[in-house]
Amino acid sequence: MILPTVFSPRVRVVLGGLLLVGSSGLSSCVSVAAYQKMYLNDEDMKLANKRIEVYETNFESYREGAGGANGGKVGGGCGCN
Amino acid sequence: MPSSFYSLTQRIMAATLLALLPALVWAQATPTPNRVDGYGAPSTTAPTPPDPSNHGETEVNILSSYYQQDGDHGAVQGGRGTQYLTDLTPTIILNVPLDSVTRVSANVGVDYYASASTDRIDQVLSSPSAHDARYHVDLGYSRQLADKRTIVGVGGGFSKEYDYLSFNITGSWAHASLDGNRELSVAGQAFFDRATLILPAELRTGGGQEHGSGFDTRQSFNLNLVYSQVLTQRLQLAISTELVAQRGLLSTPFHRVYFRETGEALGKAKTERLPRQRYKYPVGLRLNYYATDLVQLRGYYRFYNDNFGITAHTLELETPVKVTPFFVLYPFYRYHTQTAANYFAPYLEHSVFDEFYTSDYDLAGFSAHKAGLGLRYSPVYGLGRFKTPFGGRVAKFKALDLRYAYYRQTTGLTANLISADLSFTMP
Repeated sequence: MILPTVFSPRVRVVLGGLLLVGSSGLSSCVSVAAYQKMYLNDEDMKLANKRIEVYETNFESYREGAGGANGGKVGGGCGCN
Repeated sequence: MPSSFYSLTQRIMAATLLALLPALVWAQATPTPNRVDGYGAPSTTAPTPPDPSNHGETEVNILSSYYQQDGDHGAVQGGRGTQYLTDLTPTIILNVPLDSVTRVSANVGVDYYASASTDRIDQVLSSPSAHDARYHVDLGYSRQLADKRTIVGVGGGFSKEYDYLSFNITGSWAHASLDGNRELSVAGQAFFDRATLILPAELRTGGGQEHGSGFDTRQSFNLNLVYSQVLTQRLQLAISTELVAQRGLLSTPFHRVYFRETGEALGKAKTERLPRQRYKYPVGLRLNYYATDLVQLRGYYRFYNDNFGITAHTLELETPVKVTPFFVLYPFYRYHTQTAANYFAPYLEHSVFDEFYTSDYDLAGFSAHKAGLGLRYSPVYGLGRFKTPFGGRVAKFKALDLRYAYYRQTTGLTANLISADLSFTMP
């Protein structure tokens, strides 16, 4: 895939790398049956932020201009000046 | 058609394609709730698969945090001055199963915050603006469809504080593969905000107006896409993006900017001015590995780009250590680096001829480190039981999660945050 030229070369390299990692991961995956998911079902294996992390994610979205894709608040009221 | 339109369209399409490409190849999902904030968004994949430890119980979480920050680049005073701020945030999250396939959720909370910098809006201390409370309520409804692999949800909510009112609506869809090894979830959210324009004291016109002039609005539209994939019995990943389009008031009216031509004379400042449209293109990659029964590895990388000129990289690593099967310690570390927005310049470094200007260090170029430690205690039979006022039902105090984080930016800003999550269930 040729990344659109609207992105700078540096941005394209990073996006291309992410794509590569994602695609290579997918090509190497195996079918895991439900009875084999004892490790994956562990609480700490959830593919998400912990609920308790929400406050950190929120203050980071205020204190860092680069917010998003991490489950933080990206709109709505302020609450923090 | 303006060329900027094509540029925007191309960017959105490119970001969407990047996020969807793995899904287009494999088309499916695992439990991947990316959002945990409860801003009207039902947890898109909450019962997928159903939590085996939850037999139709009502879940109640009491969350709270104490946040304190300090620094000397306050935006209210044009990039200098105190950034001291404290924030106390009690929140209750309810998750109620109506039947085996339907759930409603509620997220109700308050932020009590005290900001030393907002005290400088009037150039004097002890003004009422130093303290405020933000109230928020969000409700969600989700339903598992007949195929048992698809969950749809809708939600909405609002938040209110002294100078800001916000409403939001949301819709979500999540679909898991037949073997549960892949999942794709899509959530859209729209915020409709109304801000009271509070100007710095010396910039108010008309003399008698306490808070400047009128109101302005902002709309934010978020598209959240998450694709997750089981790779092996011990490894799984998720790729996500959260495309954001905002329009309306994006600057903060009481943030001052001082210019090199006019110096620091009071009354010569202007209020921060930023474009009225913003587009964000973040992409995240999450990778979890069950290394041993003692230690797991949770990794997260995010790349961020927007039309303000900010490019950022964020890397997080967390290593939960199971001291006992029910007691987990999890040290974590986060590194973030970002370039400055095109419109940012420090105190006295903007020119009066600039079209847009801000001295808000949130938009500056910097790196940030965060480190901390969490602990979770969740014995199999819970920490305790007690009778509730609701018909004598017995509630179980199921788990306790505590977390401390220390945060430091290269701008000098430091922050400390202590959070707690108390989980209860009721049959």
